[in-house]
Amino acid sequence: MRILLVEDEKKVADIIVRGLKAERYAVDVCHDGQQGWESADAYDYDLIILDLMLPSLSGTEILDRVRRKNSQVPILILTARDGMDDKVKNFELGADDYLTKPFAFAELLLRVKALLRRGPVNRSSVLRVGDLEIDRLSQKVKRAGKKIDLTGKEYSLLEYLATHPGRVFSRTMIIEHVWDQSFQGLTNIVDVYVRHLREKIDDPFPNKLLHTVRGVGYSLSDEATA
Amino acid sequence: MNLRSIKFRLVAWYAGLLTGIFLLLCASLYLDLRLFLENNLRESQARRARQLADALLAHVNQTGEAYVVAQIKDWYAPESNDRFIRVRRADNTLVYISAAPKDGLFDPAEIPLYPPDQSTEFSHKQKLSGGNTLLIAGLNFKSSGNPDYFVEVGALLDPVDTMLNHLFLQLALGLPLAVGIITVGGYLLVQRALQPVEQITRAAEQITQLNLSERLPVRKSGDELERLSLSLNRMIGRLDDALLNTKRFVADASHDLRTPLTILRGELENMLEDTQTDEELRARLGGLLEETIHLSKIVDQLFTLTQIDSGESRTDWKRFDLAELARTTAEQMSLLAEDKNISMSCEVAQPACVVGDRSRIKQVIVNLLDNAIKYTPSQGSVQLRVQGVNGHAILEVADTGMGIPPESLPHVFERFYRVDKARSAEANSAGLGLAIVKAICTSHNAEVEAYSSPGQGSRFVVRLPLQKSESSSSTHDIQHVKKSISAIY
Repeated sequence: MRILLVEDEKKVADIIVRGLKAERYAVDVCHDGQQGWESADAYDYDLIILDLMLPSLSGTEILDRVRRKNSQVPILILTARDGMDDKVKNFELGADDYLTKPFAFAELLLRVKALLRRGPVNRSSVLRVGDLEIDRLSQKVKRAGKKIDLTGKEYSLLEYLATHPGRVFSRTMIIEHVWDQSFQGLTNIVDVYVRHLREKIDDPFPNKLLHTVRGVGYSLSDEATA
Repeated sequence: MNLRSIKFRLVAWYAGLLTGIFLLLCASLYLDLRLFLENNLRESQARRARQLADALLAHVNQTGEAYVVAQIKDWYAPESNDRFIRVRRADNTLVYISAAPKDGLFDPAEIPLYPPDQSTEFSHKQKLSGGNTLLIAGLNFKSSGNPDYFVEVGALLDPVDTMLNHLFLQLALGLPLAVGIITVGGYLLVQRALQPVEQITRAAEQITQLNLSERLPVRKSGDELERLSLSLNRMIGRLDDALLNTKRFVADASHDLRTPLTILRGELENMLEDTQTDEELRARLGGLLEETIHLSKIVDQLFTLTQIDSGESRTDWKRFDLAELARTTAEQMSLLAEDKNISMSCEVAQPACVVGDRSRIKQVIVNLLDNAIKYTPSQGSVQLRVQGVNGHAILEVADTGMGIPPESLPHVFERFYRVDKARSAEANSAGLGLAIVKAICTSHNAEVEAYSSPGQGSRFVVRLPLQKSESSSSTHDIQHVKKSISAIY
């Protein structure tokens, strides 16, 4: 897996590169926009991580050029600005994900993994994780054949976790998908909902499905993960 | 009418000054004319008395008094000229007195003898019983070889009075008319002159922090008002620059603060990952990381605040139903309350349409509810209510928490204000949640107020301008009512 990182702040780039290399990714770094675009144009990357404020060529401009080249490479935007306008504009230009500085490296890693493994979204009407069954049409949830009553938000949370069983979702990712922008900073809301969800789907059963990944987030899977 | 407006004050001064000047002019004209006419009459009487004395009395030794009397009757015919003539000796015995004039305006016999005077010439006014006034001029005639005589000649003052009265009437009627015309004319003139000021005022009212690039219309008239509009425009330009600078500063500061925070956080995480780090150091690093995250949160909220303050674009403004938004937000947060064993209820009676940035208003509700839940002990309750009252959509969040002491109440919306430091630290808040609520409300022309009775709870009320709901069908309304009933948890 080869990743291009375009980031002009050398220390920030250094931390990201160290972290990604520890996860055994091959990483190329560019410290200015022009170089970044030339590398992105010349090589076939599996993922591009792009800072927005860059010397000589802005991240938005690189994003635009890459997409106009008709390249489908996933692009993760890093930014120190968090204006909604920026966010909307970059998604319109074809960014796949967006992370505001300062971020936890674990959060970045989760998103990188999610983008690299992004296969087809599971669109089947019934999601299955172990003996848990989620019917997306009727929004009914069963475990081991027993019906489980969930509130609206609990259901949305479970459905989101179940779209990629085994994948770890950070609290911020969960807030972005299940709640919305207005709840940012209210991360304890995720913990509360997860605890209630756990009481309903896990507590009555010996085999636990909903896992806490310390310092990172939550995942739903059949295997007992650390 | 606004009594303090320049228009009114100018016209009032104008009219007042002109009235004063006119009054002075008229009074002096009237008095001057009266003096002149009376003097004139007096002099002609005195002249006549002297003629009479010089022509007849100077020779009375040769002619005898009877001749003088006959000559007076002959020359002056006082009865047909409404004139009064009297000649008397020094001992006040009469030589001659004219008879009553033919139209009987006065009776000469009635006129008292003017007390003999040592001065040679005299004059006085004599009121008569008929209401008329006689102006009498006379002289004390002395000549060598002749006895002394008093000669008095009088004429009626009434023609002069009549004329003065007429003049007075004319002035009394003309003055108010003139003042009236001047006032109306002045008003129209001033109004015309101030019209551009009205226009400038109206145009200036339209300019807010969102359209500072616009300018006031300038009329090329070369007058003070053109200069006013030009200097106002220059001022707007400077404001525009200042605001742009602020926005640029926020963007730059945001970048410059976040980058070192990112590095700090990254390095701390790295060290914590390192398995070689010993436990005590790990705990301290963990504390540092926590502080870094807290600092990031404050930076985030500060920039949110600055963004709202510097005027966000209104392109995201839409009509939406505040009641519906409140209901769904409460639903999304209900578990937070339930988790603390707090009962949360949401009462929305009917749709309340408002215009604004939906996600920002949602942030207001989230922050208020979060606050209420945070500071309410278990077994308490939090109540969210939306209703439309008098053209306002009123959103109310009430709790049964510990409340806010009265001395803190006026400050709760201030930045970094904390009612109780220990409590806030525990709740891990930066003290900016309510400041953000206030800033969002201000940018939406809404009011927010806090009420509290310590120990019993607090109540936050947000008042947004209500939009007239579009012709919603009645079935829609019924659905809403049903929803709202089911929304009471």
